[in-house]
Amino acid sequence: MSHSRSWLTARSVFIFGLIIIMLFWVLFPFYWAFVNSIKHPADTFQSSWIPFLQFQPTLDHWRNELAIRETRQALKNSTIISLGAATISVTLGTLAAYALARFRFNKPDNGFYTTWFLSQRVLPPVVVVIPFFLLMRQLHLLDSVWSLVLLNATFTLPFPVIILSQMFRELPIELEEAARVDGASRWQAFWRVALPLVVPGLVATWIICMAFSWNEFLFALSLTSNKAIPMPVIIAGAEHTRGVQFWFVGVRVLLTMLPPTILALLAQRYIIRGLTLGAVKG
Amino acid sequence: MPEIVHKKQDRTGSFFLSPAAFWILLFTIFPLLYALYTSFYSFRFGQRNRFVGFTNYGRLFTDQNLHNALRVTLIFVIVTVTVEMLLGFALALLLNQEMRGKNFLRAITILPLFATPVAMGYLGITLFYEVNGPINTFIRFLGGEGIPWLSSPRWAPVAVMIVDIWQWTPFVFLVALAGLQSLPQDLYEAAEVDGGSGWQLFRHITLPLMAPTLWLILLLRLVEAFKVFDIPASLTLGGPGRATEVYSLFTYRTALRFFDHGYAAAQGFLLLVIVMTIVTILFGRIRGLYEEGS
Repeated sequence: MSHSRSWLTARSVFIFGLIIIMLFWVLFPFYWAFVNSIKHPADTFQSSWIPFLQFQPTLDHWRNELAIRETRQALKNSTIISLGAATISVTLGTLAAYALARFRFNKPDNGFYTTWFLSQRVLPPVVVVIPFFLLMRQLHLLDSVWSLVLLNATFTLPFPVIILSQMFRELPIELEEAARVDGASRWQAFWRVALPLVVPGLVATWIICMAFSWNEFLFALSLTSNKAIPMPVIIAGAEHTRGVQFWFVGVRVLLTMLPPTILALLAQRYIIRGLTLGAVKG
Repeated sequence: MPEIVHKKQDRTGSFFLSPAAFWILLFTIFPLLYALYTSFYSFRFGQRNRFVGFTNYGRLFTDQNLHNALRVTLIFVIVTVTVEMLLGFALALLLNQEMRGKNFLRAITILPLFATPVAMGYLGITLFYEVNGPINTFIRFLGGEGIPWLSSPRWAPVAVMIVDIWQWTPFVFLVALAGLQSLPQDLYEAAEVDGGSGWQLFRHITLPLMAPTLWLILLLRLVEAFKVFDIPASLTLGGPGRATEVYSLFTYRTALRFFDHGYAAAQGFLLLVIVMTIVTILFGRIRGLYEEGS
């Protein structure tokens, strides 16, 4: 008995140790960015970790960074791009998801449409970057946030289609049938009965699409040059004009990373399904 | 899955489906066809010049820099995907056990997935900073010598890989954990009654049952890893020299720095062919495993 108990304890100490290492590995970069963002430039050259005790924190870098017009513009652009793209993507995706869950198509059939929607995530973006560049130039949408709204809506469309078609399939069909018997049209059965029941999934999908659109870099880099530049491109452009100024890196990295990370924490439950394109249920 | 109610296709179905279908058609089929057309022309300074047949595709065989990009990408894919699969699966096994605060731990573990990749690359410049970055400080504290992370062609790819592993291991973890939680518990109970050890349970129950899920994760990771762009583009700019110039970065530069649109399009199609080949091979294998299982 005592033998098995000491073995148990040794085992839990081992597991505990692994978890501490894991937490450190995951959280250290966030902490490093944070701690540098509130240090005086001179302090960034010392290894000090605890604000107030080891060094006097300052909010100057946050203030300075937010006073830069380009940064504020970039935050605004990123917000428009991610909100716009997520909204279009979820709207189109929800309709398609409902169609795939509740109607049977033939030639091409439901399976074909599903694979087709999924294949958007296999396509390497760099293959289509020039056509998009030329297309947007024709449409006079170069250096416009709307070009990025359109593209991110396209490349996040698989998420709502897959997550929501699964959710619609899990709804009891009787509810919609009852509504139909009572004289509701198919649209009303969808809009008044089915849609309200998937609202949690809708919100979560919207958040996933927002986070991915916010983080997108390749198209943002190739299609913006000045007034439409979003946060990821601001960051990529800074490093060689600014050199390595730890404090600015800290502020900018956090300004860029925190919105999608915090949003993702809120959508936890649905993320697995979304990211595996429905292949594994979460 | 409930039976689909409306047996025959009707107008309403198309009404729901067609907006998304047209959207995708417009924004992916058209650009792909356009890229295909582009790949048969020669461009100079962004101006279409003349029809050159398969010349752009021919250049794929002789371009040293392209071969370098392929080699860099292949090594990157093999190393990162292997490490991510091993670490992620181990982490899933660890956090699949009953423990206090497991939901909190799981939530923390997947945070890196949503951290903007470019921002992580940028932060990496300070993390891997050679003089007084935290990683070298730590190595010196342990008695080692500082590593020239970003200035040495030998170490720069390692730095890029470490950031990628930080970012994507949580993906493997997340999916593997979902897989572990859907395994039938009664099998384990029966095996424990028969006196199987922990290792035997893992070897003869967990591993075979998890095989389809693990293959699927491998497929999804491989597809994403071949597309890698953001982290090398911000952490090392493909350097020093061309040591971290991955495929997408090389193609991007061909297209938008040298305006060699035709050749860049041909490069794009080569990448598409590589990725599609992997998808086809692994997808067949996965379908086989699923059919065996059911």
